[in-house]
Amino acid sequence: MPIVAAVLALLPWVAPSQALSVNILLYGLFATGFNLLFGYTGLLSFGHAAFFGAGAYGAGIALAHYGVGWFGAIFIGVGVAGMLALLIGAVSIRSRGIYFSMVTLALAQLVYYAAFQATDWTGGENGLRGLTVSVLSLGPISLNFLDPTTKYYVLFAFVMFALWLLSRMLNAPFGAAMEAVRENESRARACGFDVRLIKLIAFVVSGLVCGLAGSLNALHLSIVPIDTLYYQTSGLAVMMALLGGAGTFLGPFIGAAIFLLIEDIFSLWTPHWQLFVGIIFMLAVLFMPRGVWGTLAGWYRERRA
Amino acid sequence: MKAIRSCLTRRVALRGGALSLAAPAILSRAAWAQDAPIRIGFPTPLTGPYGAEAKDQVRCAEIAVAQFNASGGLKGRKAELLVRDDKLSPGEAATRTLELIEKDHVDCIVGSLSSSVQLAVNEITKARGMLYVSISQSDTITEASDFARTTFHEALNPHMTAGAVARHVFKPGMRVAILLADYAYGQEMAAGFRRAATAIGGIDIVLELKHPVGASDYSTFLPQIRASKADVVCICNFGRDQANSIKQAVDFGIKRQAKIVVPVLLYNQRLASSPDVFEGVVGGSNYYWEIENQFPSARSFNDAYRAAYSGALPSDYGAYGYSGVRLILDAMRRAGGVSADAVIHELDGAHYDTCKGPEIMRACDHQAIQSVLILQSKAKSNMKNDADLFDIVAIDAGAEANLRSCADLGHKS
Repeated sequence: MPIVAAVLALLPWVAPSQALSVNILLYGLFATGFNLLFGYTGLLSFGHAAFFGAGAYGAGIALAHYGVGWFGAIFIGVGVAGMLALLIGAVSIRSRGIYFSMVTLALAQLVYYAAFQATDWTGGENGLRGLTVSVLSLGPISLNFLDPTTKYYVLFAFVMFALWLLSRMLNAPFGAAMEAVRENESRARACGFDVRLIKLIAFVVSGLVCGLAGSLNALHLSIVPIDTLYYQTSGLAVMMALLGGAGTFLGPFIGAAIFLLIEDIFSLWTPHWQLFVGIIFMLAVLFMPRGVWGTLAGWYRERRA
Repeated sequence: MKAIRSCLTRRVALRGGALSLAAPAILSRAAWAQDAPIRIGFPTPLTGPYGAEAKDQVRCAEIAVAQFNASGGLKGRKAELLVRDDKLSPGEAATRTLELIEKDHVDCIVGSLSSSVQLAVNEITKARGMLYVSISQSDTITEASDFARTTFHEALNPHMTAGAVARHVFKPGMRVAILLADYAYGQEMAAGFRRAATAIGGIDIVLELKHPVGASDYSTFLPQIRASKADVVCICNFGRDQANSIKQAVDFGIKRQAKIVVPVLLYNQRLASSPDVFEGVVGGSNYYWEIENQFPSARSFNDAYRAAYSGALPSDYGAYGYSGVRLILDAMRRAGGVSADAVIHELDGAHYDTCKGPEIMRACDHQAIQSVLILQSKAKSNMKNDADLFDIVAIDAGAEANLRSCADLGHKS
C-alpha cells in the first residue's frame, strides 16, 4: 500500500503528461474494482462499463442538471453505481461461468441503450456536457481544479482512500472467504459460507469502486461520452486486469499504466500504432500468462522459496 | 528551449504546491512566448472509420501552415501543427486536448471530425479560454447551451446542408421518405429536412426510418421505403454507411422510382464506391475542387495541394482542415498576436475567403455563413478523368436566412 501511494504520488512527474497520469489513476481504479470480482472472486463480468458509466452519469447529471456540489456529486455517482450493481448482481449471480459473463454483458448493453435514448438526461450520442468544475471549495479553501497538478492530487486522494478501504477488506476474513469461493465454490458452501451472499457483496463493492472511478472521470474530463457505457469499456477493464495480473492487488494498476502508456507513446509516434500495440499484447499473453505483475511476483516468490 | 521551459513550470508548480498554480504558469509562458512558434493543436481521428478523411484534413492543414510560414508568419513567428489521433472517441479527444493545452501549451485548437468529439473538445477549450475552430458538422455546438466565445464553427451544419438540398429538390406535392442513422448527426440532418419541408409547404413526409450507426445490412428498411411510393428518399448518414446504404438502395431498385438525396455527398465515399451506384444521387457539399472555376481562392488552394501532393486534389473534408487553420492564422496575423481576446475581436463578424468563396463569421453564434454546393454524381460515361466525380448543379449562396436565427438557438440579442 505505501509503495502504491508513493509511486502514484510521483506519477505526474514521470508520465508524459498529466492528463495521461489522471487516466492511469482512474482506469487503474476501474480495473482494480473489476479485479475484485474477477481476480478475487472468480467471476468474469463483461458488463463493468455499466458501473463505470453509472458513476460518471450519476455524478455528471447531478452536476449538470441539479447543480449539486462536486463532493455531493461524487457520492451520488457512487450511490447510483452501487444500486445498479445490486440490481445487476442480484440477477446475474444466479448463473455461472460463461453464462454469467453473457448476462452481465447483456444487462450492461441494456443500460447503454437506455442512456443512448434518454437524450434529455444524458445528452445521448453527443454526450453529457455542462459539468465543468473549475473551482473546488473545501470549506474555507478553494482550489483551482482546472490546474492539472491540483486536479491530479485531489483525485489521487479519493483513489488512495478507496484503495485503502479495499486492501482492508481483502485482508479481512471476508477477503479470504471471497478467495475460497473462487477456488472451490462447493467446498466453500460445505464450510458454511453463504456463497451467494459473498458473491453479491463482492459484486456490489466492485460496482461501487468502478462507480467512484467513473464519477472521478466525469470530473476529470468534464464530459461524459456515451462510449463510457459501451461494452468496449468493459473490455478495457478485462484487458488491463489480465495484462497486469488478475488476482493481484497491484496488477490492474500496472496493467492500466502499461496499456495507456503504450497507446499514448505509440500513437504519437506513428499512425499505425495499433499494429505495434497489438504485437506487444500478443507477446505479453504468450510469455506472461499471469500478467506482468503476476509473473514478476511469482518469479520473486520462487526465488525466495 | 523546450526542456528548460518544462522544467521551469515544474519547479514553479512544486513551489506553488496545491494552492494556486495558474498565475505562475501564465507568467512563465509569457516570458518565452515572444519568439516561440504559434502552436496549433490538431486532434483528428487518424484511426477508425473516418481515417481517410482525417488524413486528408492533416494534409490540407499542413498546406495552410506552410503558406503562412512562407509568407512571413506573424511578424516572423512561424506556425506549427501538432497532430494528435483522437480515435473518434470523445473521451480520448478530451484527454488529447488537455495534453495539448497543459503540456504542449498550444495557442489554439483546430479539428475533430464528429459531432460528439467536437463537443467534447469544445467543453475543454471553453473552460480554459482556449481558441477552438471546429471543422466538422454539428447543429448543437452553436446553440446557447454549448456556445463558447472562444469557439468558431467553420464547418457547415446539418441544418444548412439539408436545407440547401431540400430547397433544390423538394417541390410542393412531393412524397418524401427519410432514412437516418440513429445518432445525433443523423437526427440533426433529418430535422433539417423536416424544417425545410415545412418551409416549402405541401410536402408529405410519408416515412421516417432509423438505422443503427455502422449498419451493414439495410434490407429490412428498403422494402418499406419502396412500398411508401416516395418521390424523394433522403438518406441521412455518414462515412461507410452512406456508400453501403446507397448501394443497397440501388440494388433494391429504389432509384427507378425515386430520387436519392443526401445532405452531404462525400467525395471519399464516392471514390470508394462506383460511379454506377452513385449516378444521379444529389447532395450538398462544402467543397469540390471544380469550384476553382468560380473562386480564385479555390484555384490557389488546389494548385498548392497539387504541387505538394503530386497532382492529387483535396477532398471535401480535407478542405475543412485548410479553411479552419487558415481562418485562425489569418485572424492572428490581423490581430498582430495570439491572445484570445484580440483574435475573437478579429473574427466576430469577419468577412473572409479562404478557399471556397466569401464567408461571414456570424458574431452571435460563431457559425460561418457560407455557400452550400449542390452536387450530382456523374455517370461513368460523362467522367473526363478519375477526379471528375460530380456536376455542380447549383451553388446555394451563403445567407443568414439559411441559418437558424440566433434567437432560435437561444442566444440573447
